Amino acid sequence: MMKTLFASAAALALALTCAAPAHAQDKVTVGIVTALSGPLAAPGTFQMNGFRLAEEEINREGFTVGGKKYTVQLKVYDTRCNAAEGSSAMQRLATVDKVPVVLGELCSPVASAEGPIAQDYSVPLIITVASAPDLTEQGNKYLFRVNAHNEQLNVALADFVGKQGWSPLAFIAWNNDAGRGGVNGMKKLLPPSIKTGYLGYFNVGEVDFSAHVSNLRAQNPRAVMLLMDEEPGSLAIKQIRDAGLKTQLVGTLAMGSDRFLKRLDAQRLEGMVQYNAFPPNANVPSIQAFSELYRKKYGEEAHGFAAQSYDGLKLAVAAMQKAGTVTDGKKLRDALAGIDYNGVIGHIKFDSKGQAQPPVYVTQWCADGKRRILYPEKLKADCGAG
Amino acid sequence: MRRAGLLMLLVAALYSIPLVSAPYVLHILVLCCLYAIPAVGLNLMLGYTGLVSLGHIAFAGIGAYTAAYLMVDLKLGYWSALALAVAASGVAGAVIGAICLRFRSHFFMIVTLAFGLMLYSVMNNWDEVTRGAAGFPGIPRPAGFGPLESFYRLALGGALVAFAVQWLVVRSSFGRILVALRQDERLAEAKGVNAALCKTAVFALGSALAGLGGVLLVSFLRVAAPASFNLAESINAVLIVIIGGAGSLAGPILGALLFVGLPELLRVAAEWRLVVFGAILVLITLFAPNGIADLIARGWNRLGR
Amino acid sequence: MAAALLEQLVNGLMTGSIYVLIALGMVLIYGVMHVLNFAHGVLFMVGGYVCHFFYTRLTGSYTAALLLSMATLALIGAGIERSIFRPLQGNLRNQVIASLGLILVIENLVVAIWGPNALQMKTPATEHLISLGELRFPLQHLMIIVVTSVVVAALFAFLKWSKLGTALRATSQDRNAAMVVGIPVERVDVASFALGTALAALGGALVGPLFLVFPQMGDAPMVKGLAGILLGGMGSVPGAVIGGLIIGVAESVSTLFLPTDYRDSIAFAIMVLILLARPRGLFGVRMRGEA
Repeated sequence: MMKTLFASAAALALALTCAAPAHAQDKVTVGIVTALSGPLAAPGTFQMNGFRLAEEEINREGFTVGGKKYTVQLKVYDTRCNAAEGSSAMQRLATVDKVPVVLGELCSPVASAEGPIAQDYSVPLIITVASAPDLTEQGNKYLFRVNAHNEQLNVALADFVGKQGWSPLAFIAWNNDAGRGGVNGMKKLLPPSIKTGYLGYFNVGEVDFSAHVSNLRAQNPRAVMLLMDEEPGSLAIKQIRDAGLKTQLVGTLAMGSDRFLKRLDAQRLEGMVQYNAFPPNANVPSIQAFSELYRKKYGEEAHGFAAQSYDGLKLAVAAMQKAGTVTDGKKLRDALAGIDYNGVIGHIKFDSKGQAQPPVYVTQWCADGKRRILYPEKLKADCGAG
Repeated sequence: MRRAGLLMLLVAALYSIPLVSAPYVLHILVLCCLYAIPAVGLNLMLGYTGLVSLGHIAFAGIGAYTAAYLMVDLKLGYWSALALAVAASGVAGAVIGAICLRFRSHFFMIVTLAFGLMLYSVMNNWDEVTRGAAGFPGIPRPAGFGPLESFYRLALGGALVAFAVQWLVVRSSFGRILVALRQDERLAEAKGVNAALCKTAVFALGSALAGLGGVLLVSFLRVAAPASFNLAESINAVLIVIIGGAGSLAGPILGALLFVGLPELLRVAAEWRLVVFGAILVLITLFAPNGIADLIARGWNRLGR
Repeated sequence: MAAALLEQLVNGLMTGSIYVLIALGMVLIYGVMHVLNFAHGVLFMVGGYVCHFFYTRLTGSYTAALLLSMATLALIGAGIERSIFRPLQGNLRNQVIASLGLILVIENLVVAIWGPNALQMKTPATEHLISLGELRFPLQHLMIIVVTSVVVAALFAFLKWSKLGTALRATSQDRNAAMVVGIPVERVDVASFALGTALAALGGALVGPLFLVFPQMGDAPMVKGLAGILLGGMGSVPGAVIGGLIIGVAESVSTLFLPTDYRDSIAFAIMVLILLARPRGLFGVRMRGEA
């Protein structure tokens, strides 16, 4: 046994030599953490697309900080929705790659592991997708969030559902942080006139909704909210409609794009209502511009996650310019705390907890496969502009 | 005497690592220690007693969430919370173990898997207590062990405690009974061993060690997430023990080093890293069936010739 | 309430049928080689991918693609048995480890080749709906139940009356005795693995059009199939069928009155409870040499 211990100690000592990488002179390396493999790879790809789009745009002209010109380079780590991997990635970004800022993260519990490390090493972490409300309640001055969290996302929708009187409201949700968070968020925000009906949870990766559909038929709720991404969402709606149920459908931002329409068809979707962080055809110039850009590069309609991430990266660069540094995390953090930025998702300004308040919309599918905006009132638009 | 001296030297060397290495390496070493602790518990169960549990890490979860709840919601001090959490995992291990141990071999494996899945469901769904799928943030590190270098010492200390426990058990008569049970249970019983009691005891001990690992892990990460204690993690623990060398004292740490260190080294290869990893696993089972510890021991022997 | 129960029963029979197909494959391999092949779930998944490949690229016929997929996976299964499980003959623990390593290799290879997104396999059967009273089911649902029943019956017949089937039964009952009477056990090993894998492929190919083909599609069914085998009794083929169906039906019916986020736990709790009452499973037999 001693021999083994010694041999292993020798091997360990050998493994401890670790070299630090070199910096490129006029390139700023920015850290990205997201899920690129595993069952959540699809939403992760949208996040990455947004970052890549921003990177391309920024590097076309470069950006100036303190008189010097820079381009941005992305160092991407796949955290696979695992807290330990997230913390290792963050540690590596902060102390090996020595980036001044990190962006991204898809899964809330992983962001909770990355946040404290951001604080330890004074490297601001800008969240662009993870939506658990308590991420910004930890008193972490180095954690910022560009996207709306579950309660913000659901407020307008809950209000709308209340006004429509769609009671009882049933749910079919992913049994993970996104799905359960959505259910809890809605339950908190729905007015007392709306009762919660059937709660159908399912695991990420499961796509057989037969049991849930049967229960929907038996309990007959007025409306059902689907808290999941595009892939399972399209299957759920197909199975619900194929079973002959005419229940009112309520969905998430994943279900408000043409890509989603392609998976189904206009008849099944007609009348469905969803909250949306980014209605691609809205009559807002910045939204239209981004949709164009995205369609040109990726050949399909933009996804809200991409818009949020795009804004995140450009915001980070703006903060670098404002702070006059590409290396000092503390100055960057201060710049971010006070920044006023107009992104494609709207006006971004972080509150004292590091949370932005981007606008949230409610859109609805029309019979011809186009969408209309129902909320906010001032952006209310007809079929085609959603 | 010489052995003890050499051992002390090794421990001193391990404790002085923070003086010479980069934070990232320390971070990985902490994770190795924290993955090794439950692996020691599983080694006692699987390696020595022959109990293949596929739900082991769920007990790490029990320890983790108990400590989280005690520390954050009930505002208990770190060390008392840790002690209670370890005890809770041990008790859970005794109770659940008693049920699982009514079954043998493949049945035992699947029943432990089933309990692991059920416990995971509780961790994921019981929003009021565990904060559910979003994770339980805000878990503190103990006073004085906040910074990475200091936490490394804590993690190393925890690992050393686990290994000390393992060593004491293995060289005690209880340890010999466990091996006897693995080799031929009927014969051992014929010689007067209370098999059920001993197996339950080692299950409880293994679970308590898993709980220790769980508490330290979530205070390192500062968040408790259900995904850290799911079936995949339990299977990882089995692989760590077996690849490292089941039934050998150094097995758990070797396995942990491979399992945590290798994917980090392979980080550059993205999704191919998991393919490579799986291939390495298959190759190890074909060519180094007794694990790395055995491989190293054999290589060392050959060098000495 | 009765209509809801009936509907859940049919749902349960369908999901149960998928579990049965996986369970049957695993029980054949277990019975003959005493190996619990954890990689069975990924083989189920590869069956789905291969069927999708044949259906979309080579032939427009779903049936042909399905059969080709079964044949391909049978070959893969034989290859795996020969290269990995035969050298590990007798070392059960390492066989389990190797199958776990295989999962990593196969699942990530699939991701590397096809990408992480799900694929759709649109067959005519998924578009047709069948009405039973006021209930409506996609034709594919009922097809799964029917095909599985046919396969189970065929398997029973094969095991009982064919030469290879009898050899399979003999080898699983007592390997040494089988060798003594001249049965080529090595070939029986390969055959059982190939057959088991083909059954898994059938499951994946049947499920693919109804839902989606994606890398993790076999993970949950494998664990449920495992529970089914245990419930039915480890080496028992009828046990695997009954066990798989019980798990499927229990899961679906439980959503009527228990919180759905504990659905998986319900199935396992039922399994544990039944096992506590009957430790060898419902149809388990005491094997020679076991405690």
